[in-house]
Amino acid sequence: MNSKSPGFLISTFVIWLFSASAFSDCDFDTDDADSPNFVDKIIECDEQKKTTGKPALYRASGAAEYKNTTKLYGDGTKDPASGIFERPIVAPGSMNHSPNKTFAARQAYSLRPGAKFEQSVTLAIQRLYIEMAHHCAKGWSIEDQWSEPNPEQEGDYFLHYRFACAG
Amino acid sequence: MNKLMLSAAIASTMGFASQGFAAGPIDGTIYGKVNVSAVNADNGADDTWKLNSNASRLGVKGKTEIADGLYAVYKAEFEMCVDDGDCKGQTFTQRNIMGGIRGSFGTVWAGKHDSPTKLAQNKIDLFNDLEGDIKNTFEGENRVSNIVAYTSPKINGFSTTVAMIPGEGADVDGDGQDDTGLTDGISYSLSYSMDNLYIAVAGDQDVDSQDLLRIIAQYKMDALKLGVMYQQNEDNLGTKDESGFFLSAAYKLDKKTTLKAQYGSIEDDADGDEEETLSLGADYKLAKGTKLYVFYTDNTDSSVGEADKEDTAFGLGMEHKF
Repeated sequence: MNSKSPGFLISTFVIWLFSASAFSDCDFDTDDADSPNFVDKIIECDEQKKTTGKPALYRASGAAEYKNTTKLYGDGTKDPASGIFERPIVAPGSMNHSPNKTFAARQAYSLRPGAKFEQSVTLAIQRLYIEMAHHCAKGWSIEDQWSEPNPEQEGDYFLHYRFACAG
Repeated sequence: MNKLMLSAAIASTMGFASQGFAAGPIDGTIYGKVNVSAVNADNGADDTWKLNSNASRLGVKGKTEIADGLYAVYKAEFEMCVDDGDCKGQTFTQRNIMGGIRGSFGTVWAGKHDSPTKLAQNKIDLFNDLEGDIKNTFEGENRVSNIVAYTSPKINGFSTTVAMIPGEGADVDGDGQDDTGLTDGISYSLSYSMDNLYIAVAGDQDVDSQDLLRIIAQYKMDALKLGVMYQQNEDNLGTKDESGFFLSAAYKLDKKTTLKAQYGSIEDDADGDEEETLSLGADYKLAKGTKLYVFYTDNTDSSVGEADKEDTAFGLGMEHKF
């Protein structure tokens, strides 16, 4: 097959299209490309790729540990207090425990002067502890923690915990 | 190894290579959406069912850090016509294509792109790309070729974009002379956004033969999102001198369902003609990035001395973003 034939070009494009590098974990919305701050969306979303989710966990703890970590956030459910799309915190009393299993959880908080109490870091930590208790009812250890800015709103942050259930 | 396998193997190797260089030379993300709707369109004389591809698209975007805090940014987006594969005789047609440099000073960018005035609308048009699209009633929704623009950083909620559009020898201001300057057309926006409030002033001079000014405001309060726009525009030949307003509201009933309504009206002071658009609809979210929607739209053109021309449409569609 000629390297410039349509078949070659199409198969090259299709495979590149579906290769891992072509997609990202970023929450970039397609319509963001037409928003007034579309350049910010491109930059921040790309930065987010490098500082959240897989890359952050990868950086913090190495590829092998990341692969065994279950991510507990980012399923698109909106938190009414923070207005950020997140998985809701778990209901008290609904306990589980998977010995040595590692999870990554995050909660939003705000340092803006006008932030509500519901957006405080105290409540973010409280929610994270409820999550940890839900997933590791028999105890846990916090393996890593970090914060990162929310690109959607200046002054807002995400507090991340990576934790492992007791063995 | 047959030829197909060979090309697949080579392409696969290239795929892994691009993965290896993801933070370097090939630093991009594929994105896009498929938006199709089955629509019954009635123009008063004929009633037609059709399948529409509503600006379905495929794009690639990315940035590369070329120095500390200095980025090269690009975006190339193409429309694909999901309904019949025919995009004005092409498989793909060009949408927003740009390249630029972004630093602490802001972003300088260029390409074929939505004008700052169009961008400033900030999606208060809730039926964008459908029959109720604001562009069917209002001027100013332009994707402009040969645009050179500067976007400032956001400072205390304020941001501005100024774009120059060289005429490249065309008579863009209708004065009978070829325009060859850098600023033959100008488009600008000044916006303020903080928390749930967005306000913008935007305008065009000699863009699509129009001088235009629009003011946009958007406010979100819990489940309700409101949008309002006021616009004045006149064409270079003095045959059009319009002013009008546009209102939209979206209300989130629950996590999955959003009700939407919008109304716009614009009147031409030059000849008394009037255009109105009314759209009602609902979105039902199936998953993140995927929704079903229904809508009804009534677009009415009223020309002095003539019967009103009324186009109505109702439809059911699906949008999937990726």
